[in-house]
Amino acid sequence: MPRAFQPLAIPASAGIGLRSPHIGEMLTRRPSAGWLEVHAENYMGDGAGVEALERLRQTYPLSVHGVGLSLGSARGVSPDHLERLRKVCERFQPDLVSEHLAWSVADGAYLNDLLPLRYDEEALAIVARNVATVQDTLNCQVLIENLSAYVAFADSSMNEAEFLAELVERTGCGLLLDVNNVQVSAHNLQYDAKAFIDALPVEAIGEIHLAGHATNHVGTDTVLIDDHGSRVPPVVWSLYQHAIDRLGPRPTLIEWDTDVPVLDVLLGEAMWADMLTASIMFNRKQAARQTATVTPQPMPTSLSFETETTTSMPVLAAFAAARAARPSAALPSIEEGYHAAA
Amino acid sequence: MLPLEHLQTSMARSVLAIEPLVSAKMLTAGKADPLARLRIYQNNTRSSLTAVLMAVFPVTVRLVDERFFRFVASEFIRRHPPVESRLAHYGAGFPRFLKTIDTLSDMPIVAETARLEWAIAEALDVASLPPRTLAEFDNTDLGPSLDILLQPSLRLIVSHWSILSVWTAHQQGAAVDHHSPWTRRSERVALWRAGDSVRLVLLDRANFAFRHSLNHGLGLEHATTRALALDPAFNLVSALVRLFGDGLVTNLRIAAHPLSN
Repeated sequence: MPRAFQPLAIPASAGIGLRSPHIGEMLTRRPSAGWLEVHAENYMGDGAGVEALERLRQTYPLSVHGVGLSLGSARGVSPDHLERLRKVCERFQPDLVSEHLAWSVADGAYLNDLLPLRYDEEALAIVARNVATVQDTLNCQVLIENLSAYVAFADSSMNEAEFLAELVERTGCGLLLDVNNVQVSAHNLQYDAKAFIDALPVEAIGEIHLAGHATNHVGTDTVLIDDHGSRVPPVVWSLYQHAIDRLGPRPTLIEWDTDVPVLDVLLGEAMWADMLTASIMFNRKQAARQTATVTPQPMPTSLSFETETTTSMPVLAAFAAARAARPSAALPSIEEGYHAAA
Repeated sequence: MLPLEHLQTSMARSVLAIEPLVSAKMLTAGKADPLARLRIYQNNTRSSLTAVLMAVFPVTVRLVDERFFRFVASEFIRRHPPVESRLAHYGAGFPRFLKTIDTLSDMPIVAETARLEWAIAEALDVASLPPRTLAEFDNTDLGPSLDILLQPSLRLIVSHWSILSVWTAHQQGAAVDHHSPWTRRSERVALWRAGDSVRLVLLDRANFAFRHSLNHGLGLEHATTRALALDPAFNLVSALVRLFGDGLVTNLRIAAHPLSN
């Protein structure tokens, strides 16, 4: 009988990906981290990590992020794996569930990597059917994440953004915008990263991912590798700023999977995401006020999503605590950071 | 144009088999060579699955040297890729695969140690149930025929080689004697999950048979008979106290099955 957890809604602020080296510290320190995301496949057994997550779930809102459903597999999703995912969701009662627009299972093998699809009507029908099956089984909306890619298929009849928009239309799924993935794919396949973000349906985007990538030089080819092994680079912060400008605040996750640093580094990156969002919203509000002063406008009848958002107290508290703890390592001001990122 | 399923099958074989089975004409990669880019997927698959195996078999890695382990892991991944995305279940066949490697034919302890490490990995992914104490059954009439239910993470391994000694010598903080030869000495190991780690103990033949019988649901009477057959001096009371003391007993119940041998 699964334990009943209090529903905890994921706020439109930053959270961190929970990684095993940090679990002990998360349990003892209970730091201010807006919310947590876990890889579903790591919690399908009954090990100590599962027990720890049950304890953390009492404190933190949770997102379950699948990496192994292989939604793009022509043969459909594995009923066994889907059942395991259903049990994870039943056990931890997450507020968000997400997966990838990719395939990783074919010819009886699981490749442990996320491979791109040929974006055409055949693939769209397959992915839409698979997403519908998953949403029906989990009885919730699933967010689908854009992919980081190193190749594309010559016979694709649409681009990834068009494919995702149509998938939303057909299935009612949401989207997880991985800004680092956009940068990686746009560089590797040579398209406009901002245009990709602008082509996605705004209202469908329920979460954002941020991460670092590596730059590899192979002969004359400079390729970005989506390794989640470093801080979010300036170019990704800049794209994130573009996304927030367009979308308003969204739940934003700091992902880090290789060479995982100490917990405070992840928390610091999350804090930076919150500060950047807050500064964008503040500047927007200031600009609106100035416009209102110059040309009087009629009173609005309703507040927009963005103007209702405020910086949450835990983030401010964490910022104050971090400053108090490290007086010598002063953070750059928001404006300085903003320019550096831009 | 290939149907999607055929395309994915070709891609999967290319990713696993290193040689490209997908035509470069089917792929694009900006100004880059698409087949060179395809090698990124090959490398991602091989290196991430190798990392999985290295995490499960750390002592085996040290026994054979990391470069050799990576080579063997690469072959294993190519021939036996995971069949599901729950990677906690990947590596079950690796100890047996090690036995087929010619280079390791005169070092059977490598595959045997890997077998122990796989049992540890399995135990870590299994539930740890609340242990029962002897005192809880003080006033209970349990009758003559009793099943003792043990922790589901309990694994019992017998090897002709001193696998626990080798494993222990390679744990953090242990002083490794690189000059001591690996000895051919049978060891019977019981291991089970305790929190986020695993407890491992050596057992004699009788206690091993006792726990093995209980673990297979054969009941207390059968387990005692087996243990006494191997060692007439087997002490049932001491074995039971140790079983409860190790936190291995999760329940007692009246046996439903007839006594079997």
